[in-house]
Amino acid sequence: MADRDPYWESFINRPPADPNNLITHALKQVRPGGVNPVRTEVHSPNVMSRHVKELAQFYGADQVGIVSLASGQLFAIYTLGSYIRELGYNAVHSETDRERLAAAAGLGSVDAAGRLVTRKFGARCHVADVLLTDLPLAADGRA
Amino acid sequence: MTLAPERPRYDPAVDAEFPPPNLGRSVHVIGPVVNVHPDETPHPKVRRGEMGKVLFDYGRNTISPDPLARTNSTRCRDKGNVFTDVLRRAPAGRINPAKTEVPDPAAMSRHIKNVGRYLGADIVGIGRSHPALLYAGGTLRDTGFVVEGEAGPSESPAELCRKYPYVIVTPVAWDYELAQAHRHHIGDAAYDTTLMQTVLVLTALEFYIRELGYTALRGKVNPQAAALAGGVGELGRNGLIITEKFGARIHLSDAILTDLPLEPNQPIDLGVDDFCKVCRKCAETCPTNSISFDANKQVFNGVEKYKIKWETCYKLRPLVTEHWQICLTCSTVCPYTKPNVWWRTLAVETLRNTPHPLRPVVVKSLKWLDDRVWGKVANKRVRWLGYDSGVRPGVKACTVAGCTAQHDAGGHPVDVPMADIGYYAPLKENVNRFVKR
Repeated sequence: MADRDPYWESFINRPPADPNNLITHALKQVRPGGVNPVRTEVHSPNVMSRHVKELAQFYGADQVGIVSLASGQLFAIYTLGSYIRELGYNAVHSETDRERLAAAAGLGSVDAAGRLVTRKFGARCHVADVLLTDLPLAADGRA
Repeated sequence: MTLAPERPRYDPAVDAEFPPPNLGRSVHVIGPVVNVHPDETPHPKVRRGEMGKVLFDYGRNTISPDPLARTNSTRCRDKGNVFTDVLRRAPAGRINPAKTEVPDPAAMSRHIKNVGRYLGADIVGIGRSHPALLYAGGTLRDTGFVVEGEAGPSESPAELCRKYPYVIVTPVAWDYELAQAHRHHIGDAAYDTTLMQTVLVLTALEFYIRELGYTALRGKVNPQAAALAGGVGELGRNGLIITEKFGARIHLSDAILTDLPLEPNQPIDLGVDDFCKVCRKCAETCPTNSISFDANKQVFNGVEKYKIKWETCYKLRPLVTEHWQICLTCSTVCPYTKPNVWWRTLAVETLRNTPHPLRPVVVKSLKWLDDRVWGKVANKRVRWLGYDSGVRPGVKACTVAGCTAQHDAGGHPVDVPMADIGYYAPLKENVNRFVKR
């Protein structure tokens, strides 16, 4: 892209003059909304797990093809969190222990440098923020 | 007595500085255009109570019983959970004092298109701004519900166009499969999610233009007009922008007004003008009869186009809000709205390359094909995430809100024959209920 587009290199690499102009920075400043005080009746845990995974994919992955873009990931995490909060359960996102939890969920393994290595993408993936929730779900692996 | 405020207007006979805009074959500016103020657009009118109590309640006090609808739209318990609100609350960045030089506007246009697509847009359209395309003042934000007042005397549309000569639109397309479930929670999810993604792209692009050192204003330009100027599509009978690859299934949301040096596109010719003259699929299937059946266009406020009756279209919403929210029928049934595959490209390219006098023949053949293969009414059954669009509202297999699936609920079968699904067909009784005769 960079050879035909003279501005591409600086778009990708140049640090912003004002960090507020970076959408990912702007999204990180905002606190999530409140939890719905009325709890909606939800499905059994394995059905909910299926639904949550499908929703995550819908919000982040196949829909727009921006799975590798941080702003797309933040959109997916936030909206998934909103779904759970509107159901009446807590959902907060955190950055701690992302790779370890992803490995525990069976998405891959953690290498010596602490990066997640997956079957599909190798080490070329970025683990987005983890969503911590008390929605009853069927766990994938051992925590 | 308060008089109606004086609105700026564009008069092609008088404003020599701005010759009438080129918006393609589907829309022409032929007379004086009085700029519309955001306060006069549908959503703010509903919110002020001008459209009656039922719509007022719908606009302000509705919390959807469906969890997905609560996530994707303002019909939620806490507005802080709506992503578009999050974006609006994000702190504003400053314009970079180190302006990027643009010796070649064409190269910058290509770059902006690359950036837009990278951020998630399906199409990026760049057009020339024009006073007739702008609102009268203020700012009309994303969901249409928020109008920001002027902070001080606002500049007229003509002044804004002098300072900021270009408009950018970054539509994102709805998922084709899910959007087939029109008048259902599944279709709503496809629509609402795309709205949020479009606003994300617009916001990110707006921020980036500021980083380049230029101004990017949101909420100043009518998005459909900007899309026409930007070569994104043509305006169809259903009042929507119909695009080359995605038909009517795109979300525009808003346009960016900017002074970044760009090279604008030309309006596009997709044969929509010829097709809509003959086809009336959207008019025939609209549940509220809000679309015109007339072969000719209407002239309204100096603009010649197919005009829909937005009041009757809008009034459907509170009546159906238990079962679904966004109708989507006129866009789903449009022959241009198809998956992005080879035979569709072939059909559109054939039409585009046909000389204008011969187009009616091609159009009639394509419409006949559309009726034979896809039917007169779109009634494809879609299953997604436990929802099933083939199930009549009120008939459920599971007690969970919105779910119509049969799974470990121990299930009662939900196999309603297609003939009994009155869900999609525009029932005579529906039409009578929603439309005052």
